[in-house]
Amino acid sequence: MKKVLSLALAASLSAAALSGCSGNNANAPEGGASTNAPTNGNSSTGKVVKLTGLITKHPLTQELAKMEWLQQAEERAGVDIQWQEISADWDQKKGALLAGGDVPDLIIGPNAITDADFAQFPGLFQDMSELVASDGPNVQAMFNDKPETKVISSQTDGKIYGLPKYQRFWPATASRQFINQKWLDDLGLAMPTNWDELYDVLLAFKEKDANGDGDANDEIPMDFAPVGTGGFGFFHPTVLLGSEGITLTNGSGQGYFLEDGQVKNFFVDERYKNLVAFLNKCFAAGLISKEVFTQDYTKFQSVARGTGDKAKVGFTWGWEVTDRFGNTLAPQYASMAPLASSANSTAQVSWDYDYDTLNYGVNMVTMSAKTKDKAAAMRFINELYDPKVSMQVLFGSLGTNIKDNGDGSYAVQPPTDAAMDPGTWKWTTTWADNGPMYIADSLKLTLGTDMQSVGKQTEPLMPTIDAIDKENDVLPSMFIKYSAADNSMMSLNNTNLMNLAMAKFSQWVTKGGIDKEWDGYVKNATKTGLPQNLEIMQKYYEDYKAKK
Amino acid sequence: MDAIRAKRRPTNDILFDAVIVILCLFAFLIVAYPLYFVIIASVSDSTLVATGKVTLFPKGFSMFGYKEILNDSRIWTGYGNTILYTFLGTFVNLLFTLPAAYALSRPEFRARRFIMFAFVITMFFNGGLIPTYLLIKGLGMTNTMWVFIFPFCVNVFNLIITRTFFDNSIPKELYEAASMDGCSHFRFFWSVVLPLSKAVISVVGLYYLVAHWNDFFTALVYVRDNKLQPLQIVLRDILLSNQVFSSGAGSGGASGGYAQRYADQIKYGVIIVSTLPILIVYPFIQKYFEKGVLIGSVKG
Amino acid sequence: MSIRTAQGTGKPPELGLAPNAPEPRLAPKQTVFNAFRRDYQLWVMVLPAIIVIALFNYVPMYGIQLAFRDYDFANGLTGGEWRGLYYFKQFIDSYLFVDIMKNTVTISLATILIGFPAPIILALILNQLRWKRAKKVLQTTVYLPHFISIVVMVGLLNVLLSPNTGIVGYLMASMGFGDINLLADVSTFVPVYVISDIWQHCGWNSIIYLAALSSVDPQLYDSSKIDGASRWQTIKHIDLPALVPTIIILFILTMGNVLGTGFEKIFLMQNTLNLPVSEVIATYVYKIGIISNQISYSSAIGLFNTVINFIFLFATNAISKRVSNTSLW
Repeated sequence: MKKVLSLALAASLSAAALSGCSGNNANAPEGGASTNAPTNGNSSTGKVVKLTGLITKHPLTQELAKMEWLQQAEERAGVDIQWQEISADWDQKKGALLAGGDVPDLIIGPNAITDADFAQFPGLFQDMSELVASDGPNVQAMFNDKPETKVISSQTDGKIYGLPKYQRFWPATASRQFINQKWLDDLGLAMPTNWDELYDVLLAFKEKDANGDGDANDEIPMDFAPVGTGGFGFFHPTVLLGSEGITLTNGSGQGYFLEDGQVKNFFVDERYKNLVAFLNKCFAAGLISKEVFTQDYTKFQSVARGTGDKAKVGFTWGWEVTDRFGNTLAPQYASMAPLASSANSTAQVSWDYDYDTLNYGVNMVTMSAKTKDKAAAMRFINELYDPKVSMQVLFGSLGTNIKDNGDGSYAVQPPTDAAMDPGTWKWTTTWADNGPMYIADSLKLTLGTDMQSVGKQTEPLMPTIDAIDKENDVLPSMFIKYSAADNSMMSLNNTNLMNLAMAKFSQWVTKGGIDKEWDGYVKNATKTGLPQNLEIMQKYYEDYKAKK
Repeated sequence: MDAIRAKRRPTNDILFDAVIVILCLFAFLIVAYPLYFVIIASVSDSTLVATGKVTLFPKGFSMFGYKEILNDSRIWTGYGNTILYTFLGTFVNLLFTLPAAYALSRPEFRARRFIMFAFVITMFFNGGLIPTYLLIKGLGMTNTMWVFIFPFCVNVFNLIITRTFFDNSIPKELYEAASMDGCSHFRFFWSVVLPLSKAVISVVGLYYLVAHWNDFFTALVYVRDNKLQPLQIVLRDILLSNQVFSSGAGSGGASGGYAQRYADQIKYGVIIVSTLPILIVYPFIQKYFEKGVLIGSVKG
Repeated sequence: MSIRTAQGTGKPPELGLAPNAPEPRLAPKQTVFNAFRRDYQLWVMVLPAIIVIALFNYVPMYGIQLAFRDYDFANGLTGGEWRGLYYFKQFIDSYLFVDIMKNTVTISLATILIGFPAPIILALILNQLRWKRAKKVLQTTVYLPHFISIVVMVGLLNVLLSPNTGIVGYLMASMGFGDINLLADVSTFVPVYVISDIWQHCGWNSIIYLAALSSVDPQLYDSSKIDGASRWQTIKHIDLPALVPTIIILFILTMGNVLGTGFEKIFLMQNTLNLPVSEVIATYVYKIGIISNQISYSSAIGLFNTVINFIFLFATNAISKRVSNTSLW
């Protein structure tokens, strides 16, 4: 479920078109891409170096051989790469591949090889620190301009086995909150600002035949994405914890968040208890979809698209309004500001903060330690991190997918096939978000119109997000590397914790009983090793702070 | 003729037949409806399927799913490969399994208990994926078609089934009589046991056949070359790209909605595309245990 | 033509039961060598299978050590630090151990109890169906669901059992069980799992029994008809006994799978509401093995599982050997 969801997310992100920005690309002057290869000693012989590569690509993505920008990049780097393209079941393949020790020269894909793999399979992968210095000026430029990219690529011992990506344009949160404005207007209701008002509005949706079709029972006042057994994700009601002052980071799937510099877990927090009690109140009143815990993602999406112009769902979360409700119903919905927990609540309202996870990615490309011509492999990697190549990695080839305005600025083109949407087009034609890239802040790139709509729908959330204390209330999980031993202990504990917590969550929402069971539950949660995890995370967090 | 027989039958036999027919009808309906549902879902609007609007007839008819599946050029290579692996593989399976099952069914074969025990162990204990991968890599079989044919070509379960059949359906005295006439085990196996065992051979053959047909794990782990990929891997890829559709890749835009509307068609369509050929094989096999291979009909 | 005498005239209850005849006693003076010389043809026939199994099953078996060692890539598969029973202890002491064991046993016992007899009954019923064409159609139909992949199977369950929109949900509601969400209830998970499993595999599993029934000598039926036996008696005295050896063998093998619930179907059917009853060994191993990267720990759990299964198989086989003289080895 989680996997589907993250796919969904990654996919929906693609739909975003990015708003343009101007400024000269200082790092990569015209022809910058070609300045590196020719100066290299190896390619001066004119010999093309043969390499093997493996990519975990999106299932929609076309064959690599058809990507023009890639052919050009290989040519410039003086390499010829034989690609193995994988779009399914990478985790299962990987185990055997690594244990067998026959790793291709390059492996590309989002966290295709994880930090845990580096720890478990020492010696398989090349520490690229020196290569970056000698043959990777573009990568070096990224490290200089965005020092955090170097932080996320360095292991605890300072070695760099995998290089990251920075894609710059993505919004600060993945979850937007939608309510059916038409229903509100038709019933003469005001936009709710806190949980109590929300409850009243949802109740009215249910009882007053909000969609006006004469059937008072077909409205689903509230719906949320299928909750996986491994923890929460995006589009889940946990974003309402923001109402009580908890800042989720990257969805805080397993409950961990930061508050005033303290690592905490909401699964044992009184505020979570309040939220669950509220959700139970809603569920008991029939305000939440009866199938909310059993439906799959397809159904979750289908239901919100209603039938014809008749909407079904009143209040929910999603990435983007047309993605969530379809073109016909989208105009009925409005994006909402975060809610307070009650009219007299004094908690500073917060929201799920996802900027890091949406804009950075780790271990996008790795190099085998057995690669014969490491300089050549690095030359190719360096090509990918040229911002002008990077934008083609993300959006597709210059000419077909991106237009060169001739003045040093670029614009993403609408799909050539009018029936296709920009998101699908991007994923079909290029590596898109699965590729290593550095979209420099200085790159002048104008994007399509979709992204503006995502931006607009984020606006009601922005004051809240801007007010978040990013120093002390945002858990920098993206930037902290744990040792292999700590990592495996923590994930073992988390597996146990999730087994307990997720089952209890759905039970309490549907059947109630949280007041009675809470104390025993907190005790059990302690037994799963939660305090141990918090201690470890706090220690690493403080180390990170100290170094920063 | 039937009528005459019916008259002769006692009443409780008629009652018995009635019960049988009712049970069969019940079983048929229970199994057939969901299958029928798969078929209509494969040509209906996915949103309508998910929201329960499709029950008896397809709604929002479209062949989008099949078009998507059949447009993928890899599918034909996949079909070709799978057919090759399945038939060659099943042949090798039977070649290794049947003689062994015969030998292990002979009571005078003293080592049989030990061998059987050693075989049964392997149904439970295995070294895990990593050592197996290293072995097959060491044998140079990775990324070749042979990895589909030879590794694990003796399935102990099927071996046991076959042996049990030989044990129970081939009279012990038969071989003794034959060996008096100077008949060797080889000949006896070839000209007596095999012809008598068409039913079990077809069952075990079917087991092997279907296992090869459905196998995607072997290809997943051991094969890299796209030209060697079997049908199931191709279908899995198609299925996955469709799941991406269904979870919102195509946000906005007409085709986004379109893809969403027909996404699940592929899921159901894949079932039909991958099952049809197996469906065709079944009647050929079925006939061997229709009335049985009669021991009595063999000339001694 | 004289061959039939072996079985043809035998009394019905004994037919097909033909227990493994005891091994012919060899006089002590007969040496191993003599036996080998006598049986060399049998050795030749079994040798290919022995080679294949030794090579592909036994050679990699050194990997079992991983359950007792840390996995250390740099020093090779067998080079990690020896941890003895550490990982087994970790599992047995783990927070979820009791729940997981309970769930696993419940699900697999229910599957055995109901799922094992179902194909036998189906085969007997099919065998009684007189109308040949209907028999063929039905046989083919019931065998088809076997080919539905698990992903789609679970998808089908979701669609058909949905309390709001599914046809089964609808039927339930019209029978007055409208409040029960079959997919969400802790008490309905096991029945839904077992029944859908039977639905999917019963026809396929009955094939072997149909094949066994086909080897019954038709003359037996004829003579029982002449004796005036009822249909029910024919089933009891001819059909069922013909199935007994197969039933016993399959039952022994099934008992060797007592902790072996499937993985994928349970995993896909899991949701947070049924998690208290749906977390089983296989799903737990997946979660810690693949997601949490604990190779040694998951090997240990796997081995623990295997050993218990094997003990069950061994015990069932021993009982069967004593009671019915049928044995796997």
